[in-house]
Amino acid sequence: MLSWKHAVAGLALTGTLPAATPVDYLRDVKPVLAQHCYRCHGASQQKGGLRADTAAFLKEGGDAGSAFKAGKSEDSLLLRVILGTHDDIAQMPYKKPPLTEAAIAKIRAWIDQGAAAPANEEPEKDLHWAFVPPARGELPAVKQGGWAKNPIDHFILARLETEKIAPAPAADRVTLLRRASLDLTGLPPTPAEVGTFLADQAPDAYERAVDRLLASPHFGERWARPWLDVARYADSNGYSIDAPRQIWKYRDWVVAALNRDLPYDQFVIEQLAGDLLPGATTEQKVATGFNRNTQINQEGGIDPEQFRIEAVLDRVNTFGTAFLGLTLGCAQCHDHKFDPLTQKDYYSLYAFFNNTVEDGHGKSVPGGTLSFPGEKDGTANLPSLLEEARLAVERHINTHGGEAVAWMAGLSEQQRGKLRANALRSAVEIAWEKQDFRQRRAVFAAAKPDDAEFRALNTKLTTLERNEARLVTTLVMQELPQPRASTLFIKGDFTRPGAPVTPAAPAILPPITVEKPNRLDLARWLFDPAHPLTARVVVNRIWQQYFGRGIVETENDFGTQGIAPTHPALLDWLATELVAQHWSMKALHRAIVTSATYRQSSRARPDLEIIDPVNRLLARQSRLRLDAELVRDVALAGSGLLVPKLGGPPVYPPQPDGVMSLGQNRRSWTPSEGPDRYRRGLYTHFWRATPHPALAVFDAADSFSACTRRLRSNTPLQALTLLNDRQFFEFAGALADRIVREGGATAATRLDFGFKACVARPPTATESGRLIALLKQLQTPVDGASAASEREAWTIIARVLLNLDETITRE
Amino acid sequence: MPAPSPFDPASCLSQATRRHFFSRCAVGLGGIALASMFGDRKLLGATTPAGGGSPLVNPMAPHPGHFPARAKNVIYLFMAGGPSQLELFDYKPKLIELNGQPVPASLIEGKRFAFMDSSHGTKLLGTRRAFQQHGRSGAWVSDLFPHTAKIVDDITLVHSCAANLFNHAPAKLFMNTGSGQFGRPSMGSWVTYGLGSESQNLPGFVVLQSGPRGPRGGAVNWGSGFLPTSFQGVPLRGNGDPILNLATPAGVSAARQRQTIDAIRDLNLQRAVETGDAEIHTRIAAYEMASRMQSSAPELIDLKGESEATLKLYGIEKDTPSFARNCLLARRLVERGSRFVQLYHTNWDSHGGPGENLQSDFEKVCREVDQGQAALVQDLKARGLLKDTLVVWGGEFGRTPMGENRDTTGRNHHIDAFTMWFAGGGTKPGISIGETDELGFSPVADRAHVHDIHATIMHLLGLDHKKLTFRFQGRDFRLTDVHGELLTKLLA
Repeated sequence: MLSWKHAVAGLALTGTLPAATPVDYLRDVKPVLAQHCYRCHGASQQKGGLRADTAAFLKEGGDAGSAFKAGKSEDSLLLRVILGTHDDIAQMPYKKPPLTEAAIAKIRAWIDQGAAAPANEEPEKDLHWAFVPPARGELPAVKQGGWAKNPIDHFILARLETEKIAPAPAADRVTLLRRASLDLTGLPPTPAEVGTFLADQAPDAYERAVDRLLASPHFGERWARPWLDVARYADSNGYSIDAPRQIWKYRDWVVAALNRDLPYDQFVIEQLAGDLLPGATTEQKVATGFNRNTQINQEGGIDPEQFRIEAVLDRVNTFGTAFLGLTLGCAQCHDHKFDPLTQKDYYSLYAFFNNTVEDGHGKSVPGGTLSFPGEKDGTANLPSLLEEARLAVERHINTHGGEAVAWMAGLSEQQRGKLRANALRSAVEIAWEKQDFRQRRAVFAAAKPDDAEFRALNTKLTTLERNEARLVTTLVMQELPQPRASTLFIKGDFTRPGAPVTPAAPAILPPITVEKPNRLDLARWLFDPAHPLTARVVVNRIWQQYFGRGIVETENDFGTQGIAPTHPALLDWLATELVAQHWSMKALHRAIVTSATYRQSSRARPDLEIIDPVNRLLARQSRLRLDAELVRDVALAGSGLLVPKLGGPPVYPPQPDGVMSLGQNRRSWTPSEGPDRYRRGLYTHFWRATPHPALAVFDAADSFSACTRRLRSNTPLQALTLLNDRQFFEFAGALADRIVREGGATAATRLDFGFKACVARPPTATESGRLIALLKQLQTPVDGASAASEREAWTIIARVLLNLDETITRE
Repeated sequence: MPAPSPFDPASCLSQATRRHFFSRCAVGLGGIALASMFGDRKLLGATTPAGGGSPLVNPMAPHPGHFPARAKNVIYLFMAGGPSQLELFDYKPKLIELNGQPVPASLIEGKRFAFMDSSHGTKLLGTRRAFQQHGRSGAWVSDLFPHTAKIVDDITLVHSCAANLFNHAPAKLFMNTGSGQFGRPSMGSWVTYGLGSESQNLPGFVVLQSGPRGPRGGAVNWGSGFLPTSFQGVPLRGNGDPILNLATPAGVSAARQRQTIDAIRDLNLQRAVETGDAEIHTRIAAYEMASRMQSSAPELIDLKGESEATLKLYGIEKDTPSFARNCLLARRLVERGSRFVQLYHTNWDSHGGPGENLQSDFEKVCREVDQGQAALVQDLKARGLLKDTLVVWGGEFGRTPMGENRDTTGRNHHIDAFTMWFAGGGTKPGISIGETDELGFSPVADRAHVHDIHATIMHLLGLDHKKLTFRFQGRDFRLTDVHGELLTKLLA
């Protein structure tokens, strides 16, 4: 920062070379232009109509005229824009630090000396790097070859050696196991797992632990989450009405697909076009829910076509973000300002997605929904609730059965005949003792119509029974028999259709060679060996999860405005390796997690604080605050309450009262009881308008559009959540009970147990000293609080542990 | 050279560091060691999040805008549902005269309205409300707003407001975020992102609600979109905990809570020493702020200290939640340094159906807001707060000059012309801006589009709407998208 500010200050006075110093275009000028100008004024794009990749192009100039007048630098456009003295054109490079005074001096001198350049200068042929297919080069040579565990490390170490930086030492083994466990399964290691790992002195102990974690069913849960962010998954329709929707089968499909390591090409093809695969299976159709995670506007008075189109546009934008890493959305209204993407490209993609059956108002349309007649929905704990409610009704009936018996006995023949329901008519013919529950319930209802208590219990049971009968369904893509005609929309406005378009790939990318391609062809095209983006984009996003930042930091913009990769050769190696491994994502995960790069300590390094403050070079690991769902999962696991059941309908863990009334439609949130109260955060019912506050406060994705990276904020509301939220308090109570029960008899052993439950390691002497001091405080009455009981005291200790920064951080 | 972002990492961090960490937090273990270990450079580097965006150490620390501000704070009275300007402020004798006549086809040709599929009316509807001129300014106000009529010389009426979207949820988003798409930051988020907040005990962006239901679209109206969640609006609730999870769990006393937080702080400090991660200091600061909020938020909503005269001015009855009470809370919030306070009141959606007629239902909602909003302006003025506080009043759109036939005759959504008013904070009081045509259909002068209103509000706060940007998905986004012209007539 400081250096270029100084450079700016110095410009007015300096930036000149002694006139006698001869300047060579190829040696002195062209490299400066190449580094700073070609991105916008080169082969890929020509901002302002100007190319700068040959001197001849510069002379020819762009919209503002020739870039220089030989011999007259002060009259030359080029010099004025790099100095920032032009009246209309912003200082160049645009929105980047200005050129150094030395570079400016060279350009000035070159122009003043006559702007000589070779006549045979070739224009730049290179496309922007991301549009050129990845190439697998040689592994870079490194001096400390012994450090490297696999090829990844060669790329990282080579760069570090160039910068004369030594990598960080490996993290200690407990930290490493906790890191890998959280990264691969989203759950901390149990104390037993830590113990086993520490006792395992074999050289491949870590690799085996990684294999165990990769095989865990929780792997799919952990890695489904970032994918569901991209897929904008939620359990409601969004917009203002935000009615609930069933699409959890799609979520479960993602978890299962990741667990069985469905190759990435299949994984994507099934989600984009599973319905169009020959002999598509139910599962493959469920996968197409990916593109049914669009919002549905059920507000009165809307124009349904507008919102049908909104959903199609969302599919195009999501396609661009998720698979191409391009900001396609920019081309909805006009040709992309920075990337070689036209509005026609945009609507040519639109044409692929514009042919499905659903309308814009969320009305049920044949084919848009898949039913599962054999399965019933309701909350996952419905069976136990039903059982409970049934027992309550039964108890009441049995307690007051005498009155029903008396009523039956008092019925005349005529009255019996007049009984309305068949079931009731037949029931009264049977002796009370021989009646089953159903019959008794009907009789009792008729006998005691004014029994308020019975009515309440019976209504509750009826409601649950009705839920039980609800069909399980999921939203899927289904093609119309005849595709819709698609057009461009002028300025992106659907009321202004423009030229007709047909399905096609963006011109800058390889063509789709099939005649009349459909969605399936588009999906397959992503895996064309010549495709430059698909593999790079996904390996970068996976890498980002492990290091907090992608090799391309702008994980959703691989275009010319994105940030160039820190390790381009590594990105290409990973991309080509993914293909070589037949698109196995688990193989990629394993390669990253077993690298020496990944295993480094995350301790800050004073020696790097100036040269690499944000850890782009990866001379250490980074501490990363856990994602919202994992903040919950870690507390659940530590407290021993976690119910590790996989899949099923969304659940309703408690949340503060009144949250649901923030939306337009007040919806109820009846907290799940029993096992569903303690499920992983992945399964919490996600209302778009009113997301569970404990998720929203920790930056859960909003599900409105594809989210490829979550922010990591750090706020007082997070503190209030962990401190005071009733469910986190419940977790603390459970952890306290566990500490007292399983943690031995002394404060020291209990603290040891509690620490291990939350952060996998035992406390340091200072830490346990501080908590023992707290225990003493708690045993002393203070300001109206009497001495804490044992449980109260350990609950407070448990709250401290669950609130530690370390507990919610992957170190 | 573009001006540096007002969200200057270096100054923000150094302030945050000194105030929150060294003066408040460094009393535990290792404080001294830390003081020498962490320089600003270190904090700067280690806390810049991936993406190179904003630093995370107390992003709410106050920082200056692009140029000197006229307004320090904003109180935005959002009339959810779209109040009828024709029943309140935009007096149209010609419309009354032509009551029942078909609307001239030239006016509605090519226009799109809500409920296009239903047979809404196309006949002009003159208001039945009595209008009078008030104050030195002679502004027209109907008899439905007797209290508001008394403050016309302190406010600026803008009759020529215009929006793009005619369904509630997208229109509300548009008014709040400058876009009908979900996922964009709201105005309060942009403002606190740009300026931070003076209050270190209360949230910088607070949302209060009254009326029969929440506003359509819910929390996205005050969401931070792609900005960090630190900048999202914090609902201050009328019932229960004023802020979610504010109350210490049952059975834990305030003293025990303090002991708990102290222990968390000390252990976190220990970890900060061990790991060298400055992010832990942010967390420590967040816990301290949370702890202060636990006492300052209940103090905020406790109106015991307010005089009888003040309560009477607002028309506040006891502790029942109401718009008037929220107005008083808004004053108390800006007094305590909160930057942006937004009040939502539903329901102004006067289509003419049950519960939404232009007669008794409309009178009711007018009564609910009239005294409170007028009292707010008067109270702010009397306390010398109005010069620093911009009050904004308006809905997501207005209503059509045509009647809409449901159970009764109401009005449909109208985005071409509607009225908002502004007070204080560097606006020019006692004038009306932006005449509409004689039927009130479209502005004939000084059209004030939502983007222009946003640009002007930002300007009053010392922010250049073109420079306050955030890079997301490869593009520098701003509240005003690629639009927004200053409404210079609105400026004092």
